[in-house]
Amino acid sequence: MRDIERELEQELHRVLDAVAARPIPPRRAVGSSAGLRALVGGAGAALAVKVLTGVAVAAAAVTVAGAATTGSLNPAVWGQAVSDQVVKCKQDVANSGQHGIGDCVSSFASQHGAAVSSAARQHGNGDGNGNANGNGSSNSNGNAGGHSKDKTKDHTPPAKTSSISPPTFDPEPIDQVNTHQPVTISPRP
Amino acid sequence: MQSSELEGAPPAPRQAPTERYEPGSDADFERLYRNTYRRIVGTLITLVRDVPTAEDCAQETYERAYRGWAKWRPDAPVEAWLHRIAINVAISDRRYQRLRQAGEVIRRLGRPAPGPDPAMIAEHSLVVQAMQKLPPKQAAALVLRHYHGYTNREIAAALDVPEQTVASRLAAARKHLQAVLGK
Repeated sequence: MRDIERELEQELHRVLDAVAARPIPPRRAVGSSAGLRALVGGAGAALAVKVLTGVAVAAAAVTVAGAATTGSLNPAVWGQAVSDQVVKCKQDVANSGQHGIGDCVSSFASQHGAAVSSAARQHGNGDGNGNANGNGSSNSNGNAGGHSKDKTKDHTPPAKTSSISPPTFDPEPIDQVNTHQPVTISPRP
Repeated sequence: MQSSELEGAPPAPRQAPTERYEPGSDADFERLYRNTYRRIVGTLITLVRDVPTAEDCAQETYERAYRGWAKWRPDAPVEAWLHRIAINVAISDRRYQRLRQAGEVIRRLGRPAPGPDPAMIAEHSLVVQAMQKLPPKQAAALVLRHYHGYTNREIAAALDVPEQTVASRLAAARKHLQAVLGK
């Protein structure tokens, strides 16, 4: 045991004396490295990693959700998909004789979430929400004649079906054949 | 200027009993830095992986010491206090060593071959390399005992542990070194 202690002392002095004999550097100012150390290691690094991970996961979730619904990562394609869905819903409604495409469109649009909905609203010129709102009010008023009017009117002019044009909100008469009395809603006194 | 400040001079002996420091005094802290820096670096070289890291840890040690300088009690051995801080800094450094390894490798790429730098001699010493792989508290006990010449009682005071703990750490460290060095 004594041999190793003696060898240890000799080796430590041989090695460390040479290093320790170098000039003494100026003392570092207090606090000059504290910020960097906090950033590189410890709670600062852990917090930064957590924040960045959260942002990355959220961005990936939105992207994947949109891509899973439309099959594309391009937001413009999401809007186009909603527009196509509106046309498809109109055709389905026309073929089945049902009224209103609101349910059909909203079930599709609700899969996109808020981000995709806003993109579709801009790109599709309000087709999704416009029709959905219009049908909602029509159904609540029981305006079946309004839609039957659409059917009789052959509602599919070539220019209108080939291009996706936005619905108009002109105050056209809902019940042109006058089969129902107009309903007026007035506030209660 | 004291002899320890001369370039090329060996490290000064441990603090003489007559050496007095006033807690909170900037001038005294600067004097303490000059008198003890080399010995603190010498200790840290055996605890961390290389000389630049040891010098960085030494600066961190004095930063921490300066923050507590006003509260230091003059009756406590100042160098033992500094060594305790230095050992804690070295332990922290080992924790973050892996984070920095990638950056160090990149930083060193393309450097010229090292010359006869004493720092390189230290880094290539088998004894120092073996001590750097020991638990820091065992390595600290070894270097305080066999390089600085502390007694077990002084080491116990410096590390704030019972003397018996120091003895067992020294025994374990020596046994490990014997196995590594084939003695």
